[in-house]
Amino acid sequence: MDNHGDLGVCWRLSCQLAARGHQVHLHVDDASVLQWMAPQGCAGVQVMNWPTDDTVINASALPDVVIEAFGCELPLGYQATMGRASTPPVWVNLEYFSAEDAALRNHGLPSPVMSGPAKGLTKWFFYPGLSPQSGGVLGPGVDGRVNSVHEHEQLSLQRDKISWPTKPPRISLFCYEPASLGLWLQQLHEQTPAVHLTVTAGRATQAVRHALQAWQLPPSFEVSELPYLSHPEFDQLLAAQDLNLVRGEDSLVRAIWAGQAFLWQIYPQDDGAHWPKLQAFLKATQAPTVVVQAHLAWNADQPTALPALTPAHWAQWSAWALTLRRRLQAETDLLTRLESFVAAHG
Amino acid sequence: MHGKDPMVVLKTEYSRGGRNSATVRMKLKSLIANFNTEVVFKADDKMDQIVLDKKECTYSYFADPMYVWMDTEFNQYEVENENMGDSLNYLEDGMSAEVVFYDGKAISVELPTSVVREITWTEPAVKGDTSGKVLKPAKISTGFDINVPIFVAQGDKVEIDTRTAEYRKRV
Repeated sequence: MDNHGDLGVCWRLSCQLAARGHQVHLHVDDASVLQWMAPQGCAGVQVMNWPTDDTVINASALPDVVIEAFGCELPLGYQATMGRASTPPVWVNLEYFSAEDAALRNHGLPSPVMSGPAKGLTKWFFYPGLSPQSGGVLGPGVDGRVNSVHEHEQLSLQRDKISWPTKPPRISLFCYEPASLGLWLQQLHEQTPAVHLTVTAGRATQAVRHALQAWQLPPSFEVSELPYLSHPEFDQLLAAQDLNLVRGEDSLVRAIWAGQAFLWQIYPQDDGAHWPKLQAFLKATQAPTVVVQAHLAWNADQPTALPALTPAHWAQWSAWALTLRRRLQAETDLLTRLESFVAAHG
Repeated sequence: MHGKDPMVVLKTEYSRGGRNSATVRMKLKSLIANFNTEVVFKADDKMDQIVLDKKECTYSYFADPMYVWMDTEFNQYEVENENMGDSLNYLEDGMSAEVVFYDGKAISVELPTSVVREITWTEPAVKGDTSGKVLKPAKISTGFDINVPIFVAQGDKVEIDTRTAEYRKRV
C-alpha cells in the first residue's frame, strides 16, 4: 500500500462486499493504518498479512474471486496455487480511477497471463470511473447502495440547495504538498478573513504549518488540525463543510457523495502524466470555468492563484458538485457492476 | 500465443495509468482461426518470446487483399491486408522491410525503426523557431498524418520513427 487512499478504497470495498453477504479476506502488507481508519473493524472482513512469495497456499483456501488492487503483484506462491487449481478464481485487476477514454477502452478486457506460475490464467481489468461504461464508483451506503446510508449521509444526500455561506465558510483540507498552498492560504485570508480551515493529519498538516510560516500569515487565521479520522468521521467532516479539498481517489469519491463544492488534488506523476487524467475528469464532469481554473491552479507545479471565492463562483462550483452527485445517484455503483462482471466471467 | 492460438498484433495502444503505471491494449488476430480479440497488459508484464522466422524483402505490389513482397531470390510472399498494421502508413514501392513468418506462412511485416518520406502536404514553412518543438500537421504520400516542425516545407524529406510516428529530422 502506498498512500492511505489505496487502503481506504480497499477497506470500503471489503466492507461493502461483506455487507452484501460475501466473505472477504483483505491481504495487506501494513494494516497498522486501519487502527485509526477503521478502529471498529468490519463484520465479515478478515484482515490478513500479505503472503510472501514463498508462502504455500492450500488450494482449499483459494477464494472464488481474487481482486488484485492498484498494481500490487500477487505473491508467486499464491499465483502458483491459482495456476494449479482445477477451477481457478475469477481474477480481477482493480485499476485506478480514471475518466480517460483509454481507461474505458481497457475496462473489462481480458489480460492473459503469459508467464510465471499463473501462466495460462486470465485476469480482467476493471476501471473505476464516472461513465456508465466504466466500473463506476463505490456508493455511499454501508453496502455501496445509495439507499442504505447512515444518517449523516442521508442529510448530506438530501441537501439540494446552493447558498453562499452566511457564517464563515468552513473548508476542509486533505492534500499532498501543493505548490499553490501558501498562495491560496494568503488569498483566503485576504478574501474572507474569518474562514475556518480544518486540516487532516499527516502530510496536509505538515504542509499547512510550513506554508503558514513561510507566508507569515497572522495568528487570526483560524486553522484546526485534526487527528487521524476513521472513515465515518471523515465522511461526517466532508458533509459538514462548505468546501472540501481532497486528494487521491477514496476521498474524491467521498467528497462527491458529500455533495459540497470540492477541489481535487490528483496524485502527481512523473513527466506530468497526471495532467491528461485531471483534464479528462474535468471534461467528463462538465466542470465550469471557475472549477477548471481552480483545479489547474491547485495542481500546478508553481504557486498559482486560484479563482476568488465570490458568491457567483460559489454558486457555479456548488452546482457542479451537486449535479455530479445526482448523476452518480442515478447510476449503479461499483460493487453492483463488479458483482455482475464476476458473474459474467466466472 | 494466446492460449494455444498463434496471434498477430494488429494494433497497440499504450496509455499511462495511475501511480506511474502503464498499460498496453492490443488488437489481435488469429493466424489459424477466423477471429479477432482485444486484450490488455500492464506495460511490465512478461511474455515468453516466440522465435519467428524473418526475411528481408522489398514491397512489390498490391493484389487485393494481399500485399506482395519479394526477397532477394525473387520469391514472393503475400501478407494479408489486415495483418499489415502500421506499415501501411509508410508503404511505398520498393521499400524494404522484414516479412515475419509463422509455420512457413507470412503473417506480418516489421518495418525498420525509421523511414525517410517526402512531405506531400503541410502549411507553409515558417522561419523562427528552430528548436523543433513547435509542431504543425503534415501528410506523407500515403495520406498518413504526422506532426513536423514549423520550418519543414512541402517537398521536404523527413525521417520518421515508425514506432511512434514522430518526426526525427529533415534529411
